[in-house]
Amino acid sequence: MTPRLAGLVLALMALTAPLAQAAVDTGHLQAELVAQTSAIAPGQTVQVALRQEIDKGWHTYWRNPGDSGEATKITWTLPPGWTVGDFVWQAPQPYPVGPLVNYGYSGEVLLPMALTAPAGAPVGQSVTLQARADFLVCEDICIPESAELELVLPVQAQAAEAAGRWAAPIARALDAAPKRADLTARFENGDQGLKLAVTGAALAGLDLAGSYFFPFDGAVIDHAAPQSIERGPQGLTLGLTASYAFQGPEPPEVLVGVLKAGDAFYEIEATVGSLPVEAAGLGPPAPRSSGGSGLGLPVALVFAALGGLILNLMPCVFPILAMKAASLAGHAHEVRGARRQGLAFLAGVLATFLALAGVLILAQAAGAAVGWGFQLQSPPVVAALCLLMLAVALNLSGVFEVGASLQGVGSGLATRGGLSGAFFTGVLAVVVAAPCTAPLMAPALGWALTQTPAAALLVFAALGLGFAAPFVALAFAPKLLARLPRPGPWMTHLRRVLAFPMYGAAAWLLWVLTLQAGPTGMARLLAAAIVLALAAWLFGLSQSRSGGIGLRASAAVLAGLALIATVFPTYPAALPTGAEPSGLVAELPYEPYSAERLAQLQAQGLPVFVNFTAAWCVTCQVNEQVALARQGVADTLAATGTVYLKADWTRKDDVIAAELARHGRAGVPLYLVYDAKGSAPVILPQILTEGAVVRALEAAAG
Amino acid sequence: MPFAPHRRLALAGLAAVAALVAAPAQANPTLGKPAPAFSVVDSTGKTRTLSEFRGKTVVLEWTNEGCPYVQKHYDGGAMQDLQKRAARDGVIWLSIISSAPGKQGYKTPAEANAWRTRTGAAPAAILIDPKGQVGRAYGAKTTPHMYIVNPAGTLVYMGGIDDKNSADPATLAGAKNFVVAALADMKAGRSVAQPVSPPYGCSVKY
Repeated sequence: MTPRLAGLVLALMALTAPLAQAAVDTGHLQAELVAQTSAIAPGQTVQVALRQEIDKGWHTYWRNPGDSGEATKITWTLPPGWTVGDFVWQAPQPYPVGPLVNYGYSGEVLLPMALTAPAGAPVGQSVTLQARADFLVCEDICIPESAELELVLPVQAQAAEAAGRWAAPIARALDAAPKRADLTARFENGDQGLKLAVTGAALAGLDLAGSYFFPFDGAVIDHAAPQSIERGPQGLTLGLTASYAFQGPEPPEVLVGVLKAGDAFYEIEATVGSLPVEAAGLGPPAPRSSGGSGLGLPVALVFAALGGLILNLMPCVFPILAMKAASLAGHAHEVRGARRQGLAFLAGVLATFLALAGVLILAQAAGAAVGWGFQLQSPPVVAALCLLMLAVALNLSGVFEVGASLQGVGSGLATRGGLSGAFFTGVLAVVVAAPCTAPLMAPALGWALTQTPAAALLVFAALGLGFAAPFVALAFAPKLLARLPRPGPWMTHLRRVLAFPMYGAAAWLLWVLTLQAGPTGMARLLAAAIVLALAAWLFGLSQSRSGGIGLRASAAVLAGLALIATVFPTYPAALPTGAEPSGLVAELPYEPYSAERLAQLQAQGLPVFVNFTAAWCVTCQVNEQVALARQGVADTLAATGTVYLKADWTRKDDVIAAELARHGRAGVPLYLVYDAKGSAPVILPQILTEGAVVRALEAAAG
Repeated sequence: MPFAPHRRLALAGLAAVAALVAAPAQANPTLGKPAPAFSVVDSTGKTRTLSEFRGKTVVLEWTNEGCPYVQKHYDGGAMQDLQKRAARDGVIWLSIISSAPGKQGYKTPAEANAWRTRTGAAPAAILIDPKGQVGRAYGAKTTPHMYIVNPAGTLVYMGGIDDKNSADPATLAGAKNFVVAALADMKAGRSVAQPVSPPYGCSVKY
């Protein structure tokens, strides 16, 4: 191509391209009209766009600007016959401003519109299209700005193809804009609050973390309130906070807006109606790995193993293991037998932990909002565990003996009974350990339950390994075994002493049941306990005599009756949800937790301390006594104006489970301190001190 | 209607549950419910409370001099006219500044009085709420954001001042002013026909 030819081509291009209009600087943004084509034919529809390049730190608004602000507007001055459609709005971003939330855009944004030329547009001429764009540009303050814009397009005979610098960006903007998919949406404003359920094939299999509903109408929801997410097999349900439109004489019958589902945006129109069941039931989505608790698998495994190790020292576990270890000590010379015992114990521990993990994972998959310690949310389980603790205690007290294995003293270790005994000692140890969730375990388990089932099982296996480690180490180290004191009368004394922590554990479970099922439940469990004690004594009597078949049968019947009485009939729900269990002596004034109350307090700019607790959580109770129910904390709460919210997870509560999951936890305790500015909460350690709480509250108050 | 008693019972139950749920939410104002009480110092240094105006209609107007939407209503004297008309009808008009110190619109009492003189504003009082307590109690989101409390202390209107979300003074003409309409309804002994509307304007600078 000669230079002259090139010049000609360039000149032609300049003629055929829309005359470049310099972007107008309105003060805090650059605005211009751009087109997807370099020309237009009579009757043709082409895409044009209002392009904004917004100064850093400033934003303009979406069609619903949120709590304040104003949507960008454009007013065209068109020659006769020319028409232009509405903006194709891009998906907005939420912009929190103090206690308010706005919806809008920052950086570069293109708002496309469809421009149609009249059939009689004169070919060969250029048409000048004029528009006035009005923006509200906000940083902390807002400035209305406007621009007079022009777009010049040559009219040509044949339809224009997409061309030029803006063809691709406009195509991308049109592609990215929220669209209607084959989604069904329903909403219900009932005593559960405003719920929006969306179902459809497009949602299946999406990672729904970060899902959000942007309504077109600014009066239907509280924009600043957090939206809860629950997954379902065919979609999701969002928990919204109804706004003033629902207070008016004609509450909304449709909710129209944009659903952000994971990373995809869909336009939805929800009608009033009962919510489809397939839009819920699978609990909240797992937090994005970038956010939440950034625990990796190796760290989680280490935590789990450490937590398992610590579990050995729990008051309800230690007696069982101590007796088991002592029984090994008597046979230090039988190295092989001891090893086999150790392995059988390990197998029992692992099998139980994996079974528990399996149940948890299955329950979660089935949609139950459960977490670690979930076993203790059911009164029959608590009651049965209480009886188990009592039975173990009675055994340690010498009321009766269970075979040779648990008794251990003087029995052959290599017998088959010894092995299964060791296995079931492992099972028993895990079952009684569950209430004593050690602080180190909670983050690891919380992390595990938000991961794939395989990862969750690995974490639970690590927990089991840690738990079984001391006993197995003992079994595999004859030298260690040899250093244990020889068996003798002292072992009987040790057993009698160790019975008392078990009685204590039984008493504590009785207290938990009282909180769950009230005095009637307590009376029932006490009666069952006495019957069980009688059964244990009869059984013991039969062991010390010959021919005690009748005694044994009576003991079995009585024990069976006691067990049945703990499970059936069902326990009454003693306390209305949210009410304070009467057994808790609370010295700090607090309110029951709800997401709405939290959002409201934050909107009021008040610092908030949230305590996720449960009666069956030992760590929680210890923290309560040692660190929370303290004058220093009470004074600091009052001085900083911090509101104390308590989320009681003693009974199953989906809302609390969802909130725990949001913070990457599957169990209690969890302590959150929200500052007055609405920032992300500070998570306090699981083991509290009065000083740490006071410092955290003061830091949040600023 | 054999099912009616059951239905009524169910409705009563629902209402009870709703009341329980709504109980902690009192800080968010609810139409037909008592308007949130407040006690705040005005630009003359006097402590004003909502209860002192019991027996009178009270209009609450959130304002911020620097906000272009507020300016739309003040620059041409439209808001001042509303305030004067309200005063003539015995309606108590309270302008509230909830901007935090250092934020747009914040005023010391002296600055607020100077602003009143300069603009010819005629509210019964200008309430200075630098901590935003009154604003948050009412959930005030924008300037202007308007609330009307009836003589019994019940909230009867909340929302925008009119139906034109724009800072352009040209939009005043032809706008439907919800406050004017609500006050007219109340004066005529009717219930407020449009008790809610979307508030618009700048965010309150808490």
